[in-house]
Amino acid sequence: MDLNGDAEMKVIQAQRERQDKISKLMGDYLLKGYRMLGDSCEVCDTILLQDRQQTNYCVSCQELDSDIDKDNPALNPQAALSQVRERQLAAQSQAVTQVCAGQSSSSQASVPVTQPRPEHCEGAASGGRSFLPPPVVISALSPASTTSLVPIRSLVCPPSSTLQRDLEEAKEVVLTKLRGATVQLQSSASLETSIQLCSLISSCANSLRSLRELSQ
Amino acid sequence: MATCQGPCDPEWVRMDGSSSFIAEYSFTEKASAVLKQGARKSVEGSVYVFFSKYNTFQGLKMLELEHLHLKHVVQLVSALESIVLRSFGPEGGQVLFTRDTGQVMLSRSGKRILSALHLEHPLARMVVECVWKHSTITGDGSKTFVLLLASLLRMIHASATKEPHMSQPYNSTETTEAACARHLADRLLDFALTELDALIALNVLPHGFCVSLEDSTGKTEQSFQTFLLTFFNTRLGNVYCDFFRDLMCELLSHWKIKNDQPSFSIRFLNNNFPALRTQVSGFPVGSSRLIEGQVIHRDFATPCPQVNEQSVKAVVFSGYLQPKLLTAGDVLELGCGNRATEDSSIVHFSSWTGRSLENIIATLQSFGVSVLLCALKQSSAALALATQTGMCLVECVSEEEISLFAQLSGVTPISDCWRICPEDIATLTFCKPILLGAHRYVHVDFHDSEERLNVKPCSLVICAPGEGQTDQYACAFQDAIRMLLTAWEPMHKSNITALMRTFPSNKFTSVHKDNMGDETAYASCSMNLHETCVIEPGCVLPAGGTFEFLLHHGLHQYGHSCSVSVNTSAVVPVSELLANALLSLPRHIYSHNPKSFLQAQTRVMALIPKHSHTLSSNVIQTEGLLEDGKLSLHSCKKGSMALTLLDLGLESVSCKYHLVLAVLQCLTSLLRVNKVLRTHTVLHTKSHKLLNARSESTEDEDEDEVVSL
Repeated sequence: MDLNGDAEMKVIQAQRERQDKISKLMGDYLLKGYRMLGDSCEVCDTILLQDRQQTNYCVSCQELDSDIDKDNPALNPQAALSQVRERQLAAQSQAVTQVCAGQSSSSQASVPVTQPRPEHCEGAASGGRSFLPPPVVISALSPASTTSLVPIRSLVCPPSSTLQRDLEEAKEVVLTKLRGATVQLQSSASLETSIQLCSLISSCANSLRSLRELSQ
Repeated sequence: MATCQGPCDPEWVRMDGSSSFIAEYSFTEKASAVLKQGARKSVEGSVYVFFSKYNTFQGLKMLELEHLHLKHVVQLVSALESIVLRSFGPEGGQVLFTRDTGQVMLSRSGKRILSALHLEHPLARMVVECVWKHSTITGDGSKTFVLLLASLLRMIHASATKEPHMSQPYNSTETTEAACARHLADRLLDFALTELDALIALNVLPHGFCVSLEDSTGKTEQSFQTFLLTFFNTRLGNVYCDFFRDLMCELLSHWKIKNDQPSFSIRFLNNNFPALRTQVSGFPVGSSRLIEGQVIHRDFATPCPQVNEQSVKAVVFSGYLQPKLLTAGDVLELGCGNRATEDSSIVHFSSWTGRSLENIIATLQSFGVSVLLCALKQSSAALALATQTGMCLVECVSEEEISLFAQLSGVTPISDCWRICPEDIATLTFCKPILLGAHRYVHVDFHDSEERLNVKPCSLVICAPGEGQTDQYACAFQDAIRMLLTAWEPMHKSNITALMRTFPSNKFTSVHKDNMGDETAYASCSMNLHETCVIEPGCVLPAGGTFEFLLHHGLHQYGHSCSVSVNTSAVVPVSELLANALLSLPRHIYSHNPKSFLQAQTRVMALIPKHSHTLSSNVIQTEGLLEDGKLSLHSCKKGSMALTLLDLGLESVSCKYHLVLAVLQCLTSLLRVNKVLRTHTVLHTKSHKLLNARSESTEDEDEDEVVSL
């Protein structure tokens, strides 16, 4: 019985607070020059106000009820974000407990968890608010994220022998080019070709240097 | 012969026996059809036909009926309350209204704020009208009115929604609620009309003291000034309240009419205040002052020669000096008696009027009259002649100013210029132009005379930087005068036999068994109270919620004794309802600091004795004090406490009593409305017409509630 009484009291208190808010807002508008009509709103049965441009205005429908919208994830990006974070937190805590039960540590680093960015939620929220969703943004972002993931994978995953072979091949090719450029440089008479050959040689040397760095 | 009205008039038509009657008059087809249908032969042989308004019933069906719910009433009064709350109390602010024309109105008065709002809701307009009427009589308390009304409505709404079903079945819960609320409001009003003044006399008056208008001794003068200061502080803020309080005291002392009771002079001031004040904008507030005599708010129509005579003679005219030649609708009959000569023409008439004007002016000059005050606009010939002969003429003087002039000078305005007697001539000390601000007015002063009011008249000049502020100060002065009138109005003696019924002696013993001996003492002194217990004029209390706390306590005690005697839980005690509603007022006063609310409450409760036998001894003491005539501060038992509370200011008990009654009456009329009929008028396509209706309970569920027009 006590619980019922408390719940009732809370409901009554909430209603009273809402009525107080409505009265205060109505008073503010009346002092601004709005007109109090003799009609009441069909939806919520509050007394209607009319502004100078003869448009009717219901205080509770247009101002008070929108307070609830801020908690609705379909309409507010921040709410959506907080909801997703909550879910992730729940999922991560589950994953952590699984790992502690005795899984290998390598599975942890397998897929880095992507944080949903607010822009994603913004798109979804704007869709919920009946704006045109910008699917281009989302699709542009997702390939970028996948491409950023790919090189990391490629660096970590393949074995070292194939890498060395590729590097040796590259070095050979660059050296060949270097030798050819040097020979041509010896036999060239014009200034222009000499300059071009010299720049070719310097770029070959740079590539060799980086190849050497890679192999080390 | 048959007489007939038009086809839509609900008149009896008497017809001859013949049916050829119909052919003689031209009726509409419908009317003749009705005629033929309704023709009957009466006993006398003549036929009576009754034309009814055959489209009336159809018209009623086109009108829309709307139900009004209790929560709408609560909502709109709460909205008005939230507006008024901003300016309530010593911490309240002012509201500035602007118009598109650039006019500005600055106010703290609840009446002006509420009347400036655009309200189309019929109940809101009704509330504002009640506030207006109350404020016109008492001058103050319009914000308190709305706050008390709102809290009472909320409590009635709460108890109506919780109330079990009434004995009579209703169509819906809303109608049940509305009926319950109406019933509660009626019971509240009955209670207030019968018991409230006795309760006030018992619980509140012993803690106040009387201030007399006649006494000019130090203590009462100080209390009177504190009383005025409190009012000006709430209305005008604390910058100029001292200045205006002094100005007001000066005005009252000048206008003390010695022969009669003091409220007579205040009533005179109240009736003539619009003529006694001049508003001047563009000057600092400190240059407001009193000037002797009367200021007539018109300028001279003719150049006024500077004469330094001892006395000036003046006559007041309420008609035209020169008869108007021709106005629309006049018929001029020319001719001398029966002889219609060829000479009679309009030229003769106009020359005759010119000669009559000259004669009038000559007569006035022979009496020595040099000033003419006219209520109407005079013709240019009259003005020219007055200029020529050196008479000062003031035209278009307002009615209030003429009536004040008449009262102060002892003459009556004459309408017929031909019959001027010496009694119609007023003697003035001077009559000269005065420049106040941007306007030039006529300034007159009167000789002392035994016949008229034995007082030296003076006029009030109110200065302020802007027009909005001069309006505010002038309204504050007028409201202060009205408030003084209400506070010093003699009240009727209260009949407290009703109070005795609720405190029967046998119940008293059941509650307080150890006070058996005191019941006889109580009974005896309550009998004595019956003769002397009255809300005396001029009884004041410390302000800041004292009245509300004391009355709350009194009503609470009354409610306890009632529940002991009546012992039915189904009946909601209305005294409890009123007590709790009253407590909301000090809560609003101290809303900025809840601790000070509790402090104030404990301070006031400490004044009240806890035990019943001390209550009766208190009563005896009060009765003894009342027999002396006036309470002085030192002889009062609560004198020391009252002195410490004086810094809060003083308020009048009588004004508060009027306020509570007015609120309860407004409440009952608000809750009696349950239908709104929308009618169409020429100006508005949708306007509202209110009905005060009592819904009749019906056994039949399908039948609509009866609306009585």
